[in-house]
Amino acid sequence: MLYGMTSDIAVLAEGLTKFYGTRRGIEDLTLEVRTGEVMGFLGPNGAGKTTTIRLLLDFLRPTRGLARILGMDPRKDKAILHRQVGYLPGELAFPGRETAKELLRFFGDARGGVPWTAVTSLAERLDLDLSRPVRAMSKGNKQKVGLVQAFMHQPALLILDEPTSGLDPLMQQEFLAMVRDARDHGQTVFMSSHVLAEVQSTADRVAIVRSGQLAAVEKVESLGRRAVRRVEIHFGDPVQAVEFTGLPGVTQVQVTGPVLRCTVDGRLDPLIKAAARHEVIDLLSAEPDLEETFLSYYYTGEGTSDAAAAGA
Amino acid sequence: MLPPLVRKTWRDDRRAVIGWTVGVGLFTAVYTGFYSQFQGAAELKQNALPQGMLDFLGIADMLSPAGYLQATVFSLIGPLLVLMCAATLAARTIARPEEDGGMELLLANPLSRTAFAIQRLVAAAAGITLVAVTPWILLSILVPVIGMDVPMGNVAAACVGLALLAWCFTGIAFLAGAVTGKRGTVLAVIGVLGVATYMANALSNLSDGANWLKWLSPFYYFIGTDPLHTGWHPGPLLLLAAIGIATTVAGVILFDRRDVGV
Repeated sequence: MLYGMTSDIAVLAEGLTKFYGTRRGIEDLTLEVRTGEVMGFLGPNGAGKTTTIRLLLDFLRPTRGLARILGMDPRKDKAILHRQVGYLPGELAFPGRETAKELLRFFGDARGGVPWTAVTSLAERLDLDLSRPVRAMSKGNKQKVGLVQAFMHQPALLILDEPTSGLDPLMQQEFLAMVRDARDHGQTVFMSSHVLAEVQSTADRVAIVRSGQLAAVEKVESLGRRAVRRVEIHFGDPVQAVEFTGLPGVTQVQVTGPVLRCTVDGRLDPLIKAAARHEVIDLLSAEPDLEETFLSYYYTGEGTSDAAAAGA
Repeated sequence: MLPPLVRKTWRDDRRAVIGWTVGVGLFTAVYTGFYSQFQGAAELKQNALPQGMLDFLGIADMLSPAGYLQATVFSLIGPLLVLMCAATLAARTIARPEEDGGMELLLANPLSRTAFAIQRLVAAAAGITLVAVTPWILLSILVPVIGMDVPMGNVAAACVGLALLAWCFTGIAFLAGAVTGKRGTVLAVIGVLGVATYMANALSNLSDGANWLKWLSPFYYFIGTDPLHTGWHPGPLLLLAAIGIATTVAGVILFDRRDVGV
């Protein structure tokens, strides 16, 4: 079943459009995910990632446009298609009061039978106790149950909506390893995220949505060098902005008394050397979120009010 | 082997079905069991209540065994319990998981929308039917044991009517949930329709002018034909079943056409 795929396009969206009344979900989205690749689906919250995924799974019906999954129609072929799709919802809620074991048995049976060892080995990998009721689990453990049910039947296509949310860093690494293994087995992975770094380390390509529209599709290598970060330095005494404005890679310099805030693209060295002339009390450096920098790279002309208008 | 989704739905509904079965069973057993002690009191009660009130409550006479059963098990609380059970279980098929988010993983099963809706409803309807036929099972035992003089065929007719009344409202509840995906709507629709049609049947007993109202009421088709005295009336019973099936079909079709979980 898994290797019987003839098409080399696992997910195809053509002019896919969804309006909720007059509110825009996504508009005219055209996208191809190739069989066997890991594609990251990036965008700020409210950009239309979940809407797209729900259209692909036939929970929502498009206003216009069409989708093909593994060469099949999401609505007409749903019964066959969903045996070959593993889906992790973004807002995970489980039906019923069962233990993880009972619930996963149900998912396995419903998909035509899954060897139980596939379930236990995934549970072991994620350090998940299957004997506990899912309702009583922490968010992180529920996320693990969600991942197990998505991966357990070794589907040809994995559609994962914000897969690492709620997982601790160790488990995030384990999850990323699972995604790499899936790719090695020839499975296709389409995963949404609003964190660039997480997608960067596993994806072959990323599709970027913003305000319901596809902004760009890029190979991950071409994103790799953009190590943009936001830096804040607290000095012992007030400093002058001019000391920092001319430094290579340093932009958006803001000085308020003894505090410097700026954005650094590339090497930190010039900024550190300049700062070392003063007494440094504290230095904070953070990778900025996607919305702030990464997307502004693609949309330098547009304001941020757009993202707010996209809603939740 | 039953479909996994049907078994899953039963597992999730198990507690509710057991609870309703016990409740309806206790209610039936207690009222029926009191028959012999109640005879004197029934006479008093019947004499104390004005005829209009008796008509409104659908009580023909409380002295005969058939009249007693009709006044207690089948007139108000019995149907009310069965209706509440039908509404809550039918609301669990689609509306409740859609509201609490569990729907996405249920719907991600390899089933067409139509098959999904049918399997969910069939599972729920089986539970509702079990609750609704509990009085039949108990009366089949209690009526001969207590020595009530009612033909068992008449008891069966009334009990099947109760189950079909449940089907009728299950279909309506399912339709409301399949279209809106909101549990509150399901309960409101059944609450309003249940009370309104019950009143329609009750008022139709009071005056000849209001007599036509009974045709609007599933309660009339269930008990207005007086099955405990007169036995089977296939037409009205089939009509109840038809309403249940028609609303179910409409619910399945409309559920197949709409967005889920928006």
